[in-house]
Amino acid sequence: MSPDKDNHVNRRTVLTYAGTAAAVGLAGCSGSDGGDGSDGSDGSDGSDGDGMDGSDGSDGSDGGSESFEIGVTMGQMDSGLDPQDHAETNTEIIVGQAYEGLLDRDKQGGIIAGLATDWERTGDGNVRFVLREGVTFHNGDALTAEDVAFSIRRIVFDDVGIASPQKNDLGSIEEVIPGDGEVVVDFTSYNTIAFQLFATNGQIMQQSWVEENDGDYINRNTNGTGPFVVTEYDSGNQVAYEPNEDYWDGDVPVDRLTMSASSESSTRVNRLLAEETDIVTNVPPQEVSRVESSDVAGISSVPSARIIFLQMRYDVEPFSSQQFRQAMNHAVDVESIIENVLNGFGNITGQPTLEGHVGHNPDIDPYPYDPDEAERLVEESGHAGVEITLQTPIGRYLGDVEIAQAAASQIDSLSNVSCELEQREFSSLVQDITTGNIEDKPHFNLLGWGNGEFDGSQTITPLMTTDGALTIMKNEELDGLLADAEATQDAEERVAILQEANQLAHDLAPWVFLHQQFSVYGVSNDISWEPRSDEFIDPDTATQQ
Amino acid sequence: MSFGRFVLKRSLQGIGVVWGVVTVVFLLRFVTPGSAINAVAPLDASQETRQAIAAELGLDQPLYIQYGQYIFDLLRGDMGFSYIRGQEVAGLVFGRLPATVELALTASIVAIVLSIPLGVLSATRRNEPVDYGATLFSLGGISTPNFWLGIMLILIFAVEYDVFNTSGRGVDVGDVAFSVIGSEPFVGTLLAWLAYITLPSIALGTYFMALITRLTRSGMLDELGKGYVQAARAKGLPRTLVRYKHALRNTLIPIITVLGLQLGTLIGGAVITEAVFSWPGLGSLVIDSINRRDWPVLQGSLIIIGTSFVLVNVLVDAVYTYLNPQVVND
Repeated sequence: MSPDKDNHVNRRTVLTYAGTAAAVGLAGCSGSDGGDGSDGSDGSDGSDGDGMDGSDGSDGSDGGSESFEIGVTMGQMDSGLDPQDHAETNTEIIVGQAYEGLLDRDKQGGIIAGLATDWERTGDGNVRFVLREGVTFHNGDALTAEDVAFSIRRIVFDDVGIASPQKNDLGSIEEVIPGDGEVVVDFTSYNTIAFQLFATNGQIMQQSWVEENDGDYINRNTNGTGPFVVTEYDSGNQVAYEPNEDYWDGDVPVDRLTMSASSESSTRVNRLLAEETDIVTNVPPQEVSRVESSDVAGISSVPSARIIFLQMRYDVEPFSSQQFRQAMNHAVDVESIIENVLNGFGNITGQPTLEGHVGHNPDIDPYPYDPDEAERLVEESGHAGVEITLQTPIGRYLGDVEIAQAAASQIDSLSNVSCELEQREFSSLVQDITTGNIEDKPHFNLLGWGNGEFDGSQTITPLMTTDGALTIMKNEELDGLLADAEATQDAEERVAILQEANQLAHDLAPWVFLHQQFSVYGVSNDISWEPRSDEFIDPDTATQQ
Repeated sequence: MSFGRFVLKRSLQGIGVVWGVVTVVFLLRFVTPGSAINAVAPLDASQETRQAIAAELGLDQPLYIQYGQYIFDLLRGDMGFSYIRGQEVAGLVFGRLPATVELALTASIVAIVLSIPLGVLSATRRNEPVDYGATLFSLGGISTPNFWLGIMLILIFAVEYDVFNTSGRGVDVGDVAFSVIGSEPFVGTLLAWLAYITLPSIALGTYFMALITRLTRSGMLDELGKGYVQAARAKGLPRTLVRYKHALRNTLIPIITVLGLQLGTLIGGAVITEAVFSWPGLGSLVIDSINRRDWPVLQGSLIIIGTSFVLVNVLVDAVYTYLNPQVVND
């Protein structure tokens, strides 16, 4: 374990040596990280982007770049280091440096090999993963099929140890059968997106290590197979890593990695500009110019897998009227909001499935901003003069309050609708949203949804179908389309069905379709790093400038 | 009443206060909107998953059983498990306490060392430039919000001039102490520690410093105008002796009371400063726990903060009584 808790190594080193110099009258001490190691990371390329069977195509190492130290500052730290007992992006980023799943994703969200080198469907619709050989956990023990089976079972079965919040993330699994260098996952019914689910979820732990340690220990320590080994865990403050010397994917080109957090966005930006960290997350729009105008860092952004929208409950007036819901879509000037509130960091949407995700319909255009058309539709709906209230969470999504203020103001500017805004603390709002009873849900609220599986069904099903956990909609045709998409085993046919569902969702307009949120990072000029579209941070792909 | 009985009485009252804090904080979770389950489970978790999580966290039990279990565990020294982190609350809370105490004590020491001489100087040189300067500083210090001051300090001294760190706690006072006997250079480690703690200490301690300066000034002015001071001067006692042994000692009695209360406030109230400087103390743990509805950690933190208040106040009462024995009889 490293005794150095400082992620601002240069400054501290300088101060330390300065102090030494002052004390003993010496000068000329050198500092800094240095290091000239080479890497050997490869670029696995045997991916498929559509969830079909595939295989690893690792193409060997390229080598040649220098080793270095890197710091990442996020908005919040982890909720413990158990990779199967959380449901948060920040925790996923922190534990995901040490743990891996059977499959992984590339920068664009395509499926690539992880701990499995081959994956396929068996004749009966179940899936088989062939495990990578020679993989060891950080404690030196070899990865086994039993470890993989145990890990999956720990997530989906309550009697294996914990009530995992990821239970639904791997689909409905009947049993997991370990074999000779392979694992077969037996689903209760044909799962069309099995590989998408395993590319996003299901990190692998060592069975004996989990069984030998209690929850407190597992949440403070790691024993994964990933590229980094946790060397220091200061709960809620900082996690330090060193490279896994035995990593199956070759040398990790980073000498030391530090993850820390600052809840204040200005503090994160200040840390970046003071060169105390290398990557900061969620740079707010108002801070972007400060970063871009500096000579030490820049902005790097990528469209994320998160869509932002205004939900309208189908069973209450005036939102029970399809015309009124469409009117709300015409009333909100989304492009103006993206430009003025989000500083351009957003893509306008017109359907629940984002571009690049399975089932996206390229023929659907967003609703144009047209207040006159909005007023006409409101008149036709019979709800002229109605008063509505938009509820928004505070600080949950990038610029959420400002976006809601702008949308409510634009709706309120219609001559025949009055709209007020109610700001709510997210925990309070989400309690109403997640109630199993639609009658308890808000009538009109802002929400965001991250689709880590990059599959349209993972947005439409929970949010728009009758039995969805977060639904505000009931439409038999839409339910039928999603059921068809789930039943079909033909990938092309499934895409066509989902595209049809997206067209129907556009027409039904249960949401005011707003935008695709961007992940906006501040990145030090000392490194070169490209962000991923699934919000995961992979410092092992960064290189020294 | 003897001094010992007085302190014992105060201590028993303190235990009652801590129990009240425990109970109120426990009950708050049931009237506060939002559920810990939503902080643990994903938005689209099924009702079955939510129920399983509730059962695992013990949230499916009736209120009185949860309360009884919590008090029982607490009396055994078990503060429970974090809903969110899955870690022992005691480890989390006591892991953060040193950072907060270090910050609060540093801010207090700096404030006391600077403010009392400044207050005395201001009182003894009334209506002179130094008095005007001290008054202006006091007003500014009391009026300035510490979050704004913190941000300004960071922008000027960390980002612009690169003298101090913007945030975090890379080196603690323990590192400095160990550097005396260890291999790390002492001066370098001390400078590194100062690079981290200086700005948050100033941001946190400025209000404190301004308050004590004003209290010292007004107290000294009051005492210097009293008859016993005139008598002491008339007897020929040196001016310095009269000021610092007699007048200042009497001035310190109300100041110590305020010091005690303020030290408790600094331990529990460094929330904003800790957030601005990402200082990993109890304040930031409280904020994080509130945001995540992590009630066991919040309860544990508030119990420690409440207990700190009580302990400091019992200590202040003891010192106060020592300085002014009449208090016991009053």
